[in-house]
Amino acid sequence: MLFSRVRGLPVLTPGDAGRVGVVRALTVGAAPWRVASVRIARGRLRRDAVVAWSALGAAGPDLLTARSAEDSDPVPAHHELVGSRVLTECGEERGTVLDAAFDPLTGRIEAVLTTSGELTPDRLLGLGDHALVVRTGSGRPPG
Amino acid sequence: MNELTAVRSLATLPVVTLGGDAVAHVKDTVFDPSARGIASFTLTGRTLLSGPLPRDLPWPAVHCLGRDAVMVRDAGALCDLPLSVVRRDTVRGRLLGAQVLTDEGEAVGTVLDVLVEGGTSGRLVAFRLAARRDLVHGSRHRRHGVYVPRGEVSGVSGRTLVIPAHATTYVTDDVPAFTARVGARHGRGAAR
Repeated sequence: MLFSRVRGLPVLTPGDAGRVGVVRALTVGAAPWRVASVRIARGRLRRDAVVAWSALGAAGPDLLTARSAEDSDPVPAHHELVGSRVLTECGEERGTVLDAAFDPLTGRIEAVLTTSGELTPDRLLGLGDHALVVRTGSGRPPG
Repeated sequence: MNELTAVRSLATLPVVTLGGDAVAHVKDTVFDPSARGIASFTLTGRTLLSGPLPRDLPWPAVHCLGRDAVMVRDAGALCDLPLSVVRRDTVRGRLLGAQVLTDEGEAVGTVLDVLVEGGTSGRLVAFRLAARRDLVHGSRHRRHGVYVPRGEVSGVSGRTLVIPAHATTYVTDDVPAFTARVGARHGRGAAR
Protein backbone atom coordinates (compact mmCIF):
# COMPACT_ATOMS: atom_id res chain seq x y z
CA MET A 1 0.00 0.00 0.00
CA LEU A 2 1.27 3.50 -0.82
CA PHE A 3 1.34 6.46 1.58
CA SER A 4 -0.33 8.58 -1.09
CA ARG A 5 -3.26 6.12 -1.25
CA VAL A 6 -3.81 6.19 2.51
CA ARG A 7 -3.88 9.96 2.98
CA GLY A 8 -7.42 11.24 2.94
CA LEU A 9 -9.01 7.81 3.57
CA PRO A 10 -11.89 7.88 6.09
CA VAL A 11 -11.27 6.26 9.47
CA LEU A 12 -14.22 4.47 11.05
CA THR A 13 -14.72 2.88 14.43
CA PRO A 14 -16.78 -0.28 14.79
CA GLY A 15 -20.23 -0.01 16.33
CA ASP A 16 -22.28 3.16 16.31
CA ALA A 17 -19.43 5.64 16.76
CA GLY A 18 -19.17 5.93 12.99
CA ARG A 19 -16.65 8.04 11.15
CA VAL A 20 -13.80 9.48 13.21
CA GLY A 21 -12.16 11.60 10.55
CA VAL A 22 -9.74 11.24 7.67
CA VAL A 23 -6.07 10.24 7.59
CA ARG A 24 -3.93 13.36 7.63
CA ALA A 25 -0.49 11.73 7.82
CA LEU A 26 1.42 8.59 8.70
CA THR A 27 4.18 8.75 11.30
CA VAL A 28 7.18 6.54 10.62
CA GLY A 29 9.27 4.84 13.30
CA ALA A 30 12.75 3.45 12.80
CA ALA A 31 14.40 0.11 13.63
CA PRO A 32 12.55 -1.61 12.13
CA TRP A 33 11.20 0.95 9.67
CA ARG A 34 7.45 0.86 9.91
CA VAL A 35 4.36 3.02 10.11
CA ALA A 36 4.14 3.72 13.83
CA SER A 37 0.94 5.74 13.99
CA VAL A 38 -1.75 7.53 12.02
CA ARG A 39 -2.72 11.16 12.50
CA ILE A 40 -6.44 11.54 12.01
CA ALA A 41 -7.93 14.93 11.19
CA ARG A 42 -11.20 15.20 13.12
CA GLY A 43 -12.45 18.55 11.89
CA ARG A 44 -11.55 22.22 12.20
CA LEU A 45 -12.34 22.63 15.87
CA ARG A 46 -10.84 19.42 17.18
CA ARG A 47 -7.18 18.56 17.33
CA ASP A 48 -5.83 15.58 15.41
CA ALA A 49 -6.03 12.16 17.02
CA VAL A 50 -2.86 10.04 16.96
CA VAL A 51 -3.59 6.34 16.83
CA ALA A 52 -0.89 3.66 16.83
CA TRP A 53 -0.87 1.51 13.69
CA SER A 54 -1.17 -1.57 15.91
CA ALA A 55 -4.43 -0.14 17.32
CA LEU A 56 -6.05 -0.11 13.89
CA GLY A 57 -8.49 -2.89 13.19
CA ALA A 58 -8.09 -3.14 9.42
CA ALA A 59 -6.64 -1.20 6.54
CA GLY A 60 -8.47 -1.52 3.26
CA PRO A 61 -8.20 0.27 -0.06
CA ASP A 62 -11.12 2.58 0.75
CA LEU A 63 -11.11 2.98 4.54
CA LEU A 64 -9.32 2.29 7.80
CA THR A 65 -11.02 1.03 10.92
CA ALA A 66 -9.78 1.94 14.38
CA ARG A 67 -10.65 0.11 17.58
CA SER A 68 -10.72 3.45 19.37
CA ALA A 69 -10.48 7.09 18.31
CA GLU A 70 -8.55 8.02 21.44
CA ASP A 71 -4.83 8.90 21.39
CA SER A 72 -2.55 5.92 21.79
CA ASP A 73 0.38 5.62 24.16
CA PRO A 74 3.44 7.75 23.32
CA VAL A 75 4.36 7.42 19.67
CA PRO A 76 7.51 8.66 17.86
CA ALA A 77 7.72 12.38 17.04
CA HIS A 78 6.04 13.07 13.72
CA HIS A 79 8.26 13.90 10.77
CA GLU A 80 6.71 13.91 7.36
CA LEU A 81 8.33 11.25 5.17
CA VAL A 82 6.70 12.18 1.87
CA GLY A 83 8.22 15.41 0.62
CA SER A 84 11.27 15.29 2.88
CA ARG A 85 14.68 15.79 1.30
CA VAL A 86 16.99 12.79 1.00
CA LEU A 87 20.51 13.21 2.31
CA THR A 88 23.26 10.62 2.20
CA GLU A 89 25.36 9.98 5.29
CA CYS A 90 28.14 11.79 3.39
CA GLY A 91 26.11 14.98 3.29
CA GLU A 92 25.01 14.90 -0.37
CA GLU A 93 21.43 15.62 -1.34
CA ARG A 94 19.68 12.95 -3.42
CA GLY A 95 16.33 14.52 -4.24
CA THR A 96 13.12 14.25 -2.24
CA VAL A 97 10.76 11.49 -1.17
CA LEU A 98 7.83 11.07 -3.54
CA ASP A 99 6.02 8.20 -1.85
CA ALA A 100 6.56 5.07 0.22
CA ALA A 101 5.15 1.57 0.06
CA PHE A 102 4.33 -0.40 3.20
CA ASP A 103 2.69 -3.64 4.27
CA PRO A 104 -0.82 -2.75 5.56
CA LEU A 105 -0.84 -5.75 7.90
CA THR A 106 2.39 -5.12 9.77
CA GLY A 107 3.03 -1.49 8.85
CA ARG A 108 6.57 -2.36 7.71
CA ILE A 109 8.05 -0.02 5.11
CA GLU A 110 8.88 -1.97 1.96
CA ALA A 111 10.34 0.77 -0.25
CA VAL A 112 10.77 4.51 -0.38
CA LEU A 113 10.31 6.14 -3.77
CA THR A 114 12.43 9.22 -4.33
CA THR A 115 13.09 11.55 -7.24
CA SER A 116 16.41 9.71 -7.64
CA GLY A 117 15.10 6.16 -7.52
CA GLU A 118 13.84 3.55 -5.12
CA LEU A 119 15.35 2.90 -1.68
CA THR A 120 15.06 -0.31 0.30
CA PRO A 121 14.53 -0.03 4.07
CA ASP A 122 18.05 -1.32 4.83
CA ARG A 123 19.40 1.88 3.23
CA LEU A 124 17.51 4.15 5.65
CA LEU A 125 19.37 5.62 8.63
CA GLY A 126 17.14 8.27 10.15
CA LEU A 127 14.22 10.59 9.51
CA GLY A 128 14.32 13.94 11.25
CA ASP A 129 13.12 17.50 10.87
CA HIS A 130 15.70 18.22 8.15
CA ALA A 131 15.96 15.12 6.00
CA LEU A 132 15.74 11.40 5.50
CA VAL A 133 19.34 10.19 5.89
CA VAL A 134 20.34 7.16 3.83
CA ARG A 135 23.42 4.95 3.64
CA THR A 136 25.78 5.48 0.75
CA GLY A 137 27.70 2.24 1.15
CA SER A 138 26.65 -1.07 -0.35
CA GLY A 139 23.74 -1.64 -2.65
CA ARG A 140 22.38 0.27 -5.59
CA PRO A 141 23.12 4.01 -5.36
CA PRO A 142 20.02 6.18 -5.21
CA GLY A 143 21.06 8.36 -8.11
CA MET B 1 40.12 11.24 -3.68
CA ASN B 2 37.47 13.26 -1.86
CA GLU B 3 35.75 16.14 -3.60
CA LEU B 4 37.24 19.58 -3.03
CA THR B 5 35.09 22.15 -1.29
CA ALA B 6 35.58 25.90 -1.04
CA VAL B 7 35.45 26.99 2.59
CA ARG B 8 33.34 30.04 1.75
CA SER B 9 30.61 27.71 0.55
CA LEU B 10 30.54 25.95 3.93
CA ALA B 11 29.07 29.00 5.72
CA THR B 12 25.35 28.44 6.43
CA LEU B 13 25.65 24.71 5.65
CA PRO B 14 23.40 22.74 8.04
CA VAL B 15 24.88 20.41 10.64
CA VAL B 16 22.71 17.30 10.42
CA THR B 17 22.64 14.21 12.64
CA LEU B 18 22.41 10.72 11.15
CA GLY B 19 18.90 10.77 12.60
CA GLY B 20 18.01 13.51 10.11
CA ASP B 21 17.73 16.47 12.52
CA ALA B 22 19.48 19.77 11.78
CA VAL B 23 21.11 20.92 15.02
CA ALA B 24 22.96 24.06 13.86
CA HIS B 25 24.42 25.88 10.89
CA VAL B 26 28.09 26.46 10.11
CA LYS B 27 29.25 30.00 10.77
CA ASP B 28 33.02 29.85 10.30
CA THR B 29 35.67 27.26 9.57
CA VAL B 30 38.61 27.23 11.97
CA PHE B 31 41.93 25.75 10.83
CA ASP B 32 44.68 24.25 12.94
CA PRO B 33 47.65 26.53 13.67
CA SER B 34 49.80 24.97 10.96
CA ALA B 35 46.97 25.31 8.39
CA ARG B 36 47.02 21.65 7.42
CA GLY B 37 43.35 20.93 7.99
CA ILE B 38 40.07 21.91 9.57
CA ALA B 39 40.21 22.10 13.37
CA SER B 40 36.57 22.93 14.06
CA PHE B 41 33.49 24.81 12.94
CA THR B 42 31.83 27.65 14.82
CA LEU B 43 28.06 27.56 14.67
CA THR B 44 24.91 29.63 14.52
CA GLY B 45 21.40 28.65 15.45
CA ARG B 46 18.99 27.25 12.92
CA THR B 47 16.75 30.25 12.38
CA LEU B 48 17.55 33.34 10.35
CA LEU B 49 17.75 35.65 13.35
CA SER B 50 19.53 33.33 15.79
CA GLY B 51 23.03 34.48 16.60
CA PRO B 52 26.24 32.56 17.17
CA LEU B 53 25.98 29.52 19.41
CA PRO B 54 28.21 29.06 22.48
CA ARG B 55 29.24 25.72 20.98
CA ASP B 56 31.59 24.48 18.35
CA LEU B 57 31.96 21.34 16.31
CA PRO B 58 35.46 19.83 16.55
CA TRP B 59 36.60 18.10 13.35
CA PRO B 60 37.04 14.64 14.99
CA ALA B 61 33.31 14.69 15.80
CA VAL B 62 32.38 15.20 12.14
CA HIS B 63 31.03 12.04 10.51
CA CYS B 64 31.39 13.39 6.97
CA LEU B 65 31.71 16.77 5.27
CA GLY B 66 29.47 16.85 2.22
CA ARG B 67 28.42 19.35 -0.42
CA ASP B 68 25.01 19.89 1.19
CA ALA B 69 25.53 19.22 4.89
CA VAL B 70 28.03 18.55 7.64
CA MET B 71 27.01 15.18 9.04
CA VAL B 72 27.47 14.28 12.72
CA ARG B 73 26.50 11.11 14.54
CA ASP B 74 24.20 12.92 17.01
CA ALA B 75 23.72 16.24 18.78
CA GLY B 76 26.31 15.19 21.38
CA ALA B 77 29.01 15.95 18.80
CA LEU B 78 28.71 19.67 19.57
CA CYS B 79 30.93 20.96 22.40
CA ASP B 80 29.80 23.69 24.77
CA LEU B 81 32.21 26.63 24.81
CA PRO B 82 31.94 30.20 26.10
CA LEU B 83 31.22 32.63 23.25
CA SER B 84 34.43 34.53 24.03
CA VAL B 85 36.48 31.37 23.38
CA VAL B 86 34.55 30.69 20.18
CA ARG B 87 35.24 34.23 18.94
CA ARG B 88 38.94 34.01 19.86
CA ASP B 89 39.35 30.68 18.06
CA THR B 90 37.56 32.09 15.03
CA VAL B 91 39.90 35.05 14.79
CA ARG B 92 43.00 32.88 15.29
CA GLY B 93 42.01 30.08 12.98
CA ARG B 94 40.32 31.98 10.19
CA LEU B 95 42.52 32.03 7.11
CA LEU B 96 40.19 34.04 4.87
CA GLY B 97 41.67 37.50 4.42
CA ALA B 98 45.12 36.43 5.62
CA GLN B 99 48.05 38.20 3.99
CA VAL B 100 50.36 36.26 1.69
CA LEU B 101 54.06 37.17 1.64
CA THR B 102 57.01 35.73 -0.20
CA ASP B 103 59.96 34.51 1.84
CA GLU B 104 61.68 37.71 0.71
CA GLY B 105 59.02 39.72 2.58
CA GLU B 106 57.13 40.97 -0.44
CA ALA B 107 53.32 41.08 -0.12
CA VAL B 108 51.77 39.24 -3.06
CA GLY B 109 48.10 39.13 -2.10
CA THR B 110 45.46 38.00 0.36
CA VAL B 111 43.58 34.73 0.83
CA LEU B 112 40.13 34.86 -0.78
CA ASP B 113 39.15 31.26 -0.19
CA VAL B 114 40.53 27.92 0.91
CA LEU B 115 39.98 24.56 -0.76
CA VAL B 116 39.61 21.58 1.55
CA GLU B 117 39.01 17.90 0.94
CA GLY B 118 35.53 16.86 1.96
CA GLY B 119 34.46 13.51 3.33
CA THR B 120 36.34 12.41 6.39
CA SER B 121 39.60 14.11 5.44
CA GLY B 122 39.22 17.85 6.07
CA ARG B 123 42.73 18.33 4.64
CA LEU B 124 43.61 21.77 3.37
CA VAL B 125 44.57 21.48 -0.31
CA ALA B 126 45.03 24.98 -1.69
CA PHE B 127 44.47 28.69 -1.20
CA ARG B 128 42.70 30.97 -3.64
CA LEU B 129 44.34 34.36 -3.67
CA ALA B 130 43.51 37.88 -4.62
CA ALA B 131 46.97 38.23 -6.13
CA ARG B 132 48.83 41.44 -6.74
CA ARG B 133 50.22 42.23 -10.16
CA ASP B 134 53.74 41.20 -9.02
CA LEU B 135 52.59 37.57 -8.74
CA VAL B 136 50.20 37.30 -11.67
CA HIS B 137 49.67 39.76 -14.48
CA GLY B 138 46.32 40.39 -16.08
CA SER B 139 42.80 41.49 -15.23
CA ARG B 140 41.33 41.65 -11.74
CA HIS B 141 39.21 38.59 -12.57
CA ARG B 142 42.34 36.67 -13.58
CA ARG B 143 44.21 37.74 -10.46
CA HIS B 144 41.32 36.54 -8.25
CA GLY B 145 41.50 33.07 -9.78
CA VAL B 146 45.01 32.31 -8.55
CA TYR B 147 45.49 29.07 -6.63
CA VAL B 148 48.50 28.15 -4.52
CA PRO B 149 48.70 24.49 -3.45
CA ARG B 150 49.14 24.00 0.30
CA GLY B 151 52.44 22.21 -0.36
CA GLU B 152 53.90 25.42 -1.77
CA VAL B 153 53.29 27.33 1.47
CA SER B 154 56.47 27.24 3.48
CA GLY B 155 55.13 28.81 6.66
CA VAL B 156 52.05 30.06 8.47
CA SER B 157 52.39 32.66 11.15
CA GLY B 158 49.18 33.93 12.65
CA ARG B 159 47.25 35.55 9.83
CA THR B 160 50.18 35.52 7.41
CA LEU B 161 51.16 32.87 4.88
CA VAL B 162 54.66 32.69 3.49
CA ILE B 163 55.31 31.24 0.05
CA PRO B 164 58.67 30.89 -1.71
CA ALA B 165 59.36 33.65 -4.23
CA HIS B 166 59.42 30.99 -6.96
CA ALA B 167 56.18 29.31 -5.78
CA THR B 168 54.11 27.54 -8.40
CA THR B 169 50.72 29.15 -8.82
CA TYR B 170 47.83 28.17 -11.02
CA VAL B 171 45.43 30.60 -12.63
CA THR B 172 42.12 28.92 -13.31
CA ASP B 173 38.35 29.39 -13.19
CA ASP B 174 37.86 25.67 -13.10
CA VAL B 175 38.44 23.99 -9.75
CA PRO B 176 38.12 20.40 -11.07
CA ALA B 177 40.75 21.16 -13.72
CA PHE B 178 42.97 22.67 -11.05
CA THR B 179 42.55 19.53 -8.93
CA ALA B 180 43.51 17.35 -11.88
CA ARG B 181 46.60 19.45 -12.58
CA VAL B 182 47.73 19.40 -8.95
CA GLY B 183 46.99 15.67 -8.75
CA ALA B 184 48.99 14.99 -11.93
CA ARG B 185 51.88 17.06 -10.64
CA HIS B 186 51.88 15.21 -7.31
CA GLY B 187 51.64 11.91 -9.19
CA ARG B 188 54.74 12.78 -11.26
CA GLY B 189 56.52 13.83 -8.06
CA ALA B 190 55.72 10.54 -6.40
CA ALA B 191 56.85 8.57 -9.46
CA ARG B 192 60.29 10.14 -9.39
